[in-house]
Amino acid sequence: MDERCFHCGRALDGSETHALVVDGVPRPMCCGGCEAAARLIHAQGLERYYAFRDGATPPADPAARDWTLFDRDAALRRYSHLRADGRREASLRIDGMHCAACGWLIENSVRALEGVVDVQVNPSGARAELTWDPRRIALSRVLGNVHRLGYLPRLRGFAGGADDGSEERRTALKRLGVAGFAMMQVMTYAVALYAGAFDGIEPDIERLLRFVSLLVTTPVVLYSAQPFFAGAWRTLRARTLGMDVPVALSIAAAWAWSVWTTLRGHGAVYFDSVVMFTFFLLVGRYVEAALRQASGRERDAWARLLPDGVTRITAETEERITPDELTAGDRVRVLPGERIPADGVILSGRTEVDESLLTGESAPQLRAPGDPLIAGTLNTSGSLEMRVNRAGQDSTLAAAARLLERAQASRPRIADAADRVAAWFVGGVLLIAVCVAVYWLRHDAARAFPAVLAVLVVTCPCALSLATPAALAAATTRLARSGLLVTRGRAIETLARVQHVIFDKTGTLTRGVPRIDELRILSRHATPERCLAIAAALERRSEHPVARAFAAIDPAPDVSDVTTEPGRGVEGRAGGVLYRIGRADYVQDIAEIGPAGRVVPDDDARTTLILGDTSGPLAAFFLADRLREDAPAALQALRALGLETSIASGDRAAVVARVARRLDGIDARAGASAQDKLALVRALQARGRVVAMVGDGVNDAPVLAGADVSVAIGSGTDLAKVSADLVMPGAGLAPLAHGIEIARRTLRIVRENLAWAVLYNTVAVPLAASGRLAPWMAALGMSCSSLLVVANALRLLRAQREPASASLARDEVTQT
Amino acid sequence: MSILYLLIPLGLVLLAFSVWAFFWAVRSGQFDDLDTPAVQILLDDDRAPPERRDA
Repeated sequence: MDERCFHCGRALDGSETHALVVDGVPRPMCCGGCEAAARLIHAQGLERYYAFRDGATPPADPAARDWTLFDRDAALRRYSHLRADGRREASLRIDGMHCAACGWLIENSVRALEGVVDVQVNPSGARAELTWDPRRIALSRVLGNVHRLGYLPRLRGFAGGADDGSEERRTALKRLGVAGFAMMQVMTYAVALYAGAFDGIEPDIERLLRFVSLLVTTPVVLYSAQPFFAGAWRTLRARTLGMDVPVALSIAAAWAWSVWTTLRGHGAVYFDSVVMFTFFLLVGRYVEAALRQASGRERDAWARLLPDGVTRITAETEERITPDELTAGDRVRVLPGERIPADGVILSGRTEVDESLLTGESAPQLRAPGDPLIAGTLNTSGSLEMRVNRAGQDSTLAAAARLLERAQASRPRIADAADRVAAWFVGGVLLIAVCVAVYWLRHDAARAFPAVLAVLVVTCPCALSLATPAALAAATTRLARSGLLVTRGRAIETLARVQHVIFDKTGTLTRGVPRIDELRILSRHATPERCLAIAAALERRSEHPVARAFAAIDPAPDVSDVTTEPGRGVEGRAGGVLYRIGRADYVQDIAEIGPAGRVVPDDDARTTLILGDTSGPLAAFFLADRLREDAPAALQALRALGLETSIASGDRAAVVARVARRLDGIDARAGASAQDKLALVRALQARGRVVAMVGDGVNDAPVLAGADVSVAIGSGTDLAKVSADLVMPGAGLAPLAHGIEIARRTLRIVRENLAWAVLYNTVAVPLAASGRLAPWMAALGMSCSSLLVVANALRLLRAQREPASASLARDEVTQT
Repeated sequence: MSILYLLIPLGLVLLAFSVWAFFWAVRSGQFDDLDTPAVQILLDDDRAPPERRDA
């Protein structure tokens, strides 16, 4: 049981048939996909990938894909750019890269292909720039090669502009750089000015230093601090008070005052505080933005749910095109097992459509001519002809994704308000400033402004600015190591305060893949082996979700004439006998003797499939979703942390009850719509509970926006990652409890840091103000204080004994 | 102390140059990927690169 797949590291149960001899040792593989990937890596002499990779490689996709679609002229024009020398350039997005070694592997493997001129892979941005010679190699071969390595390449429209946030990131970096350089410079001037204030300084030199400081600080205020002013303006216009308001206020006021005293020639200047404050705040923001990018957010993630290719029916012929090329009014053929490429209406054909992605309804829906179809849903059984009404950006899928983004974008304000530590601090500072202003206006109006400013600026020193971002950055790294990716820094603070966890789908606690739970033989003439083999052979032709339960069983070789009846079942011949599998009445239809005596069982909590021949039903398969192995332990851990748990599922009551029973009677609500779930969240919040939502979050935009913190499970869809605050990339649930523990420790460290910073300031500020502190002592004290805060935050990174469950969870990466 | 009238403007020139150099580095993508190059040096082939690499 200790064996693991050589390529993806998944635990093997010994039944696998795939293996590859590497270095003379046969290495077991979990599936054909991993075997193909390992074989290719081996053939190209790139085995060092295995030595240098970091973390678990996801299992390679064993399905063959047709990439030749991208070799057509129309597609080449759309996705690539023809250079003067006849070569083409394209920009790819590559999913599945998780470390620098992946980038190395793809680069070297693709570069070895004859005809590829250059390829540059950027794993942190999941991007690649490819230059190739179309006369010597087809684009499809390059794409196929990347896919065989276990990654998923996606072409990005060349004309559409590759907007992936890298430009924003560069701008942020430039702002940070300007502030950093300016800070170094201004601090040296400040030290000279401080020293001069104590030991005497020539007035001319003092003036020069002040003017130079002004010169260096101004670009920082006008350029680097611009996001704070923009943010403050935005929140003020929305008639709220965000964190940016006091920040913008103190930067603007300190700068304006310093400019005024510089021009006037006497009074204190605060240029050093302005640049330092700006710099440290920008560092915090930059770290957060980088994390968001690293967690795999991307625009247009929804497009991944569209099929690779579409069959367009034109007057004369049928052609395969990419879904991007579809326009409203096109006629399209959709085969069983394909995803619907665009919103539209069925022209002919009947099928069952799996819409679980958008509606949460797990049972496929029967659709007939005239019925609407939604882009991204799965055509499970019949062949269809449809007319496209809305494609691409106009589709329901794109709209749903945008809705999610908007729901998310409106949240940071609420999250900021909930950010009690910072809010408390800012409020306190503003309150003290007002008191000081009132006091000085009564006693000595001329000194009121400098005094108020001193209070505002005193809150700037590094220790305070670093207290929260340093701890959050350390915690984020730590959480990522234990299998929980943070997509927004503030989520950690909320996570620490969570009191109630709601699992928004049964599929979160279960594997989401049906398994044969029980096989009951109904006829004396049937053997379990034969029934299983025939059922597997019949279901192999079906794309219905239940067919996956039979995927691991060897099919009977002698089955032929298989046809699918949407919504009812599958029939076929084996050894001259007609067999049917599916709903009981469908199977009974071919029974020659009628429903004679054999009782067809039924079970509310499980899906029942009947296999029968002309003599009547032979066997009943009870299919059920298996509980995740670590679900009971994970829930136990959450309860041990004092959290309450519940399930709010859209599934049928019997199904949910079955899961709940096996989790020691967790509070469960079945048949809940998105509105019901939102009501549940709101009711809990009304009782003062902080609610976390765990799920795949595609159909529940309002629920996710309503919960205080949302967690997406990695085996869910990509869309969920766009919306969730946290993502668990493994399929296990164990990281959640561990993550909450880390978040709590983080909050404790933030509090310690803030307490220290406040203590330091309350002691140091009056001392410095009364002139009892030499400049070098103040400088030393300040540096030590900052270092202490950072060191305290770094304690979070110290590897503690990792709960075995957390590392186990990483190996549980299942295919979806 | 009049040397300061030379040294401080000189410092400003250096500052301007650093900012310009930094902007150039950011624009040319030097900071876009900070993870790969670190590993690249460990992984890269000691052997001569394969014959292709057409001019």
